[in-house]
Formats: sequence, structure tokens, C-alpha cells
Amino acid sequence: MATKTVTLEIKRQASPDSPAVWEKFELEWRPGMNVISAMMEIAANPVTVDGRETTPISYDSNCLEEICGSCAMRINGKARMACSALVDNLEQPIKVEPLSKFPLVRDLQVDRSVLFENLKAVQAWVPIDGTYDLGPGPRVFPAQQEVSYPLSNCISCTCCMEVCPQFNEATGFVGAATIAQVKLFNNHPTGRVLAEERLRALAGDGGVQECGFAQNCVEVCPKQIPLTDAISDISRDVLFQKAKDLIRS
Amino acid sequence: MATANHPAAPKLSTGVQPLRAAKGSSFLWRKLHSLLGIIPIGAFLVEHLLSNFEALKGPAAYAAQVKFLNSLPLVRVLEWTFIFLPIAYHAIYGLYIWFRGKSNIVYYPWAGNWMYLAQRWTGLVAFLYIGYHVATQRFLGVSLPENPGASFHKVQAELSNPVILAFYVIAMIAICWHFAYGIWLFAAKWGITPGVKSRKRFGYLCAAFGLALAIMGLAGIWAFVSPQYKNAPENVQVTTLVEPGR
Repeated sequence: MATKTVTLEIKRQASPDSPAVWEKFELEWRPGMNVISAMMEIAANPVTVDGRETTPISYDSNCLEEICGSCAMRINGKARMACSALVDNLEQPIKVEPLSKFPLVRDLQVDRSVLFENLKAVQAWVPIDGTYDLGPGPRVFPAQQEVSYPLSNCISCTCCMEVCPQFNEATGFVGAATIAQVKLFNNHPTGRVLAEERLRALAGDGGVQECGFAQNCVEVCPKQIPLTDAISDISRDVLFQKAKDLIRS
Repeated sequence: MATANHPAAPKLSTGVQPLRAAKGSSFLWRKLHSLLGIIPIGAFLVEHLLSNFEALKGPAAYAAQVKFLNSLPLVRVLEWTFIFLPIAYHAIYGLYIWFRGKSNIVYYPWAGNWMYLAQRWTGLVAFLYIGYHVATQRFLGVSLPENPGASFHKVQAELSNPVILAFYVIAMIAICWHFAYGIWLFAAKWGITPGVKSRKRFGYLCAAFGLALAIMGLAGIWAFVSPQYKNAPENVQVTTLVEPGR
């Protein structure tokens, strides 16, 4: 009986400066297989389809349940989480490439520091550090929780940035994820203390104004975060903040 | 706790650089581009298509409309401040926006992404058309502000060339598309429609508006090529009140 097989074509690159090459692998099909588990099998026996020995594939991954945001890559051309990319739902050969908008480290591994820097630039946190106990925080009403919870689901996978036509080196656009986090923390009763600064930050070059509303971010988001709603809301808040600053200066 | 200054983000060695928090003036320039598209440019488009509609009543009515517009106080100042300069800025900054964006429609063929691309192409068609149209109709040939009576014939003569007529029709549709979706984008990006449902509903409204505007614009073009006013006189007597059909 011929065994059912799975074919993967993976874009390899040994270092940021070395040339990219495609390698083809054929694996035995298993039920419930996903792209990460397929690459784990390749690691156990790194031999290409033409019998040439190679190195295990380098990639980021951690939780394997679409909650850590590590394993974003392009699968059959589209950015998505590799752990939730079930082989049975994919057209074969499955083409796996690294995200294209971030500096490459090796193979499918990219450096997504820019998101971390952006989150720092807008102070995407609730400031509670002090020299004494600040006591319990203010109550968050359920209606507000309903709005905030989906925003808090962001896993920093950067898929929204990868698919955004405006996120590139020319614009330096901050991307949807950071804007959604500004909405989250500006709506938090304690986080709100930094609201004005966050809005001013987002009016800087590469800020919310660079959005072209192609809406790819909200289509691709693996956590279904209402990113376009957040961009719309925050755009208005930024505008009002700038107007207020203008007449009060 | 709260710091007044944003510490500069460390520069990353390669790739897209982090947000330049609270630095630069691109916010102002981008918002100006967005606002000018609605007012005055969009408002002027509506006025222009309404005026064109007068052509359906014949050369004399059209001439009267041209005369009326040119008799507005400070009309040359109005023309430059509310038409030429805003359009020039909107067009040039629009091209700048286009060149900095990188369409990825091949990989993500989604509706919003198509509209993103269409907004750029229709904008380019509009830019080329408006440049041509203003040059030929406003600045070259018979000067219409001084000779409003010649306006119908001047347009008719230009539209007698089928290639130019096709250019006018395509540009009319492209411009109405660009304006209708521009209104939708404006509402989305200025936070007027922050909800999925509100954007959807407003989308239908903008589509209906754009369609109505395009039909009206095409009807205006039709007035010049229809058999009814074939071979209009080179100059007509202009009176402010005209009975239809003259």
C-alpha cells in the first residue's frame, strides 16, 4: 500500500547575507499534521526529497496553539501562524517562506524587534510603579471589558504588519497592532493617565495617519482583533488631541 | 511615572524603523491631503457636475451658467485658492503616498485591498485628466471667462474626437469612484465610522452617491455629443435667464 505523503517547499537562508534557496521535503502524512509538526519531523531526519542531507530548519515557535505569536510565516504566500496551519487544509506542495517585511535571521526566523520598539514608543503599558502601595485599581465595568478583551488578545505575531501595504521602510508605519494597543491602554482606567502622550506619539512620522485602510490587517489577524475599528477610533482621538494641543499652545 | 518627553527609540540596524513618536509633521500634511479631497475639491466636483447638467438645456443655458460662475466676486482668487492649488496639492501628495505604499494584491486579493489599489489608479487617471482638461478648456483656445457664449461650442469641438470623448468618459467614472470611496475613507480614517456595521452602511451610501454622481456627469457629457445640439453656434448670446431648449 502506497503511503500518503506531504510535500513541503521551504525557503532556506543560512544567514542574513547568504543567498536564499528552496528545499523540497516529502514526509509521511499523519492525522492532524501542521506546518510546525512537519518541520519537527524534518528536524528529526533532515533529508531533502532528492536524498540530499541538509540542516534542520530554523524557525521561531513556542506554544503550538496560536497563542504565543512566535511562528508567523508565509505559507503558500499568505502570512499566518504555522502551528494552526493544518496540512490537510493546504494546497500541496506547501510553500513556506519567512515574513518579508522584517530583517531575516536564518531560514524562517526573522527579527520583529520593530513591534517591541513601537510598543515602547507609545508606552503600551499601565504605569503602576511607585514607592508605596497604590491600592486596588478602579473598577472596569463589563461594557468596557467587552471592548478591551478582544484588544488584549494581541499575540504580537506581526501578521497585520506583514500584510499591510503601508508598512514598509519608506513610510515607517507603526502598524495596526500598536494602534490597537493604544486603544486598549487608553481605555484602561489607570492606563489612561498616559492617554495624551500615546496619542501625541501616534501623530509622529509613521503614525496612525499612514494607514491606507486597505483593511488587510483585520482580514489576516489570527485573533480576530477589530483592528480597523481601533485605527478609526484612535485616528479620531489623535486628531482631537492635536487640535486641542494647537489651540491650547 | 508619566514622562513629558518620548525617549528616542533605538535605531534598528535594518528593516522598517520604529515609530518616530511625536516627531515630524507628516500627520498635518496627510490630514490636509485627506480634508482637501472632500472640501474644497469634492465640493467643487459636485458644483462642476451640476453646472455641466445645465448643458442638457442647451448652449444658451450652459453659457449663462458659465457667465454666472465667472461673475462671482473675486472669482480668480476663488479659482486658485479653492480649485487649482488644492487639486495640485492633493494630486502631488497623493502620488507621494502611492509611491511609498507597496501593493500586495497578488497575495491578498481582498476587497479592501482592491479598493486601496483602485483609489491610487483612479487618482492617477483623475490627475492626468484634470491636467489635460484644465490646460485645453481653461487656458488654451478661446478664453471662456471672457467669452462664456463660446463655452458650449468649445467643449463640443473637443468631444467630437472619439478618443478624447472616451478619455472624458473613463475619467468621469474614475473621478466619481475616487471621490465616493474617498468620502468613505475619510469617514473611516477620521473616526466618523469606527464600527464595522457603520462602515458597511456608509459604504452603500457612498456607492449610491458615487453612482448618482457618475450618471449625472455622463449625462452632462451626453449633452455635448447628443444629436439635439449638434453643430452648436461658435458663440451664443448670453442672458442671465434662459428658457430651456435654446
